[in-house]
Amino acid sequence: MTHQSPPALTGSSGTATMTAAAGPPPAPAPGTGPGGQAAGRPDRPRGPGRGVRVARAAVLGVGALVMLVPLWVLVVNAFKSEQDIRTSPFGLPLSRLSLSHLADALHNPDFNVVKAYGITALFVVLVNVLSLLVAAPVSYVIARGTSRWHTGLLLLFVAGTFVPSQVLLIPVVYVLKYLGLMGTVPGFVLFETTLTLPVSVFLYSAYIRTVPRELDQAAAVDGAGRLRTFWLIVFPLMRPIVATAVILHTLGVWNDFANPQIILGPGSGLYTVTTGVYAAVGKYSTHYAVVFPNLLLAIAPALAFFVIMQRHIISGLTAGATKG
Amino acid sequence: MTAPAIVLFTVMMLVPLVLSGYLSLTDWDGYTAQPAVIGLHNYRVLLDDPEVRDAAVTTAVIAVAGTVAINLAGLGTALAISTPGRLNTLLRTVFFYPYVISALIIGFLWSALLSTNGAVNTVLEAVGHAGLPFLSMPGWALVSLITVIVWSGFGFTLVLYIAGLQTVPASLIEAARIDGAGRWRTLRSVTLPMIAPIVTVNLVLTLVSLLRTYDLVLSLTGGGPAGTTQTAAYLILSESFQNNMLGYGSAQSVVLTVVTGIAALAVTLLRRRADTGVSA
Repeated sequence: MTHQSPPALTGSSGTATMTAAAGPPPAPAPGTGPGGQAAGRPDRPRGPGRGVRVARAAVLGVGALVMLVPLWVLVVNAFKSEQDIRTSPFGLPLSRLSLSHLADALHNPDFNVVKAYGITALFVVLVNVLSLLVAAPVSYVIARGTSRWHTGLLLLFVAGTFVPSQVLLIPVVYVLKYLGLMGTVPGFVLFETTLTLPVSVFLYSAYIRTVPRELDQAAAVDGAGRLRTFWLIVFPLMRPIVATAVILHTLGVWNDFANPQIILGPGSGLYTVTTGVYAAVGKYSTHYAVVFPNLLLAIAPALAFFVIMQRHIISGLTAGATKG
Repeated sequence: MTAPAIVLFTVMMLVPLVLSGYLSLTDWDGYTAQPAVIGLHNYRVLLDDPEVRDAAVTTAVIAVAGTVAINLAGLGTALAISTPGRLNTLLRTVFFYPYVISALIIGFLWSALLSTNGAVNTVLEAVGHAGLPFLSMPGWALVSLITVIVWSGFGFTLVLYIAGLQTVPASLIEAARIDGAGRWRTLRSVTLPMIAPIVTVNLVLTLVSLLRTYDLVLSLTGGGPAGTTQTAAYLILSESFQNNMLGYGSAQSVVLTVVTGIAALAVTLLRRRADTGVSA
């Protein structure tokens, strides 16, 4: 039994459809009858044997521990004294836990965590809004277009995925200096937004192709221009894919380090969570009672976001990666 | 409707890419508006620069070893937990969560675990074992770095592999088993060909992202000991901005961009047969 169209997720060649599976192949007849090849081991249950199951459980258990222990160390040590961290880094001395180290970190003169949350959140919002305003219309044109120019435009944007952002950083500094935007919020937001375009345009244009053209035509008949047609008719239907893109870009901007570090620079007084932590923790890297609380405060929002949005983050990344 | 995106993309992506080529031919220091063109001088220097050579080797080792390890771990785990179920969903979350944490912070966390008087060595000493030089000896530091990269990165490939495995019809696996194929043979002849496109995506994404390793190096090892964990991206950013040698840094980044492009293309082409020639 052969079949020509495997239910493949769109690969790196990127056929831009939203359908994940091209329909399952016809199911083979289960079993080949009592006289068939299956008769060799008739009583054996399907699935792995007992030994395999035990080994698998053991490996997965150890793996899960290896994944969680660093998080455990990070969380519990944020509440312990330097002495307790040194003597028993994995321990949880319930009677001696204290919030004072976290409080110190919140009032760290080198790094105002709350301010960093605010600044980083502002960047996240600005980049997401700008990215949507810029990427959605161009994706609409690409999705509805039929000429080579539209295919070329799509390829051009998608090719941006493979350009390392650190490699762009040096020439972008040159461009931003020329434009007078170096060290400024607009300069940083514009560059960061550009970095979101390849993924956004790819996701959006693939999604818009699944929106029936008849909707556009009906709007046109009613006298709406292209811009109105897009924002009033097509855009409201794009909610799921916009959510995916927002999740991807939020994680990207929140966790970015090199771009804010270089473009905003230490002189601007603007620091994000990552550049702030770098400044604060780098100095005290051997003072664990300072390091752990700062790290915990830095990852807390990302972890909370992950716990709440878990399912969406995973499906969003899956969509972004397999279609991007 | 296309203008804003095209203008932004041109100014912040295409122009910088072209500029990168131009700046690589100059002695730009980051301040002068009109840097002097010095021809291919930067590229000649680059070829003889032992620091660049070492960074290239380190980057290659990280990219190749990391890609192989991340994908083996991701695929292996995916095969073990791809069936739906509450426990498997929980495990997927546990293996995936480092992906949402900034690499910079993962590096700081692991440096607190692995440094000379860090958590792991404290435990080793408590059980009577001498501490190990995880981050303070050259070979050890590179292995530690790659281990942390795998720890933080394989969850992402895991999620993609699970998504891929769920598209493989159970009836196909069953048919292979009934035809007498063992577990290994079923994996090799049915499952892997069916998820070949996902394997390619994972390989390319992992390779491309590891060729850019920067944040983790900065916070875990700082490029040390003795520069042995300096990656190409680390060298480009920390050296060129600290020493104001942005022209030279541009030459290095042009080379890195070209190498990244070739590597991504090579993997895609090598995998093409696996992607298209599927028959079960």
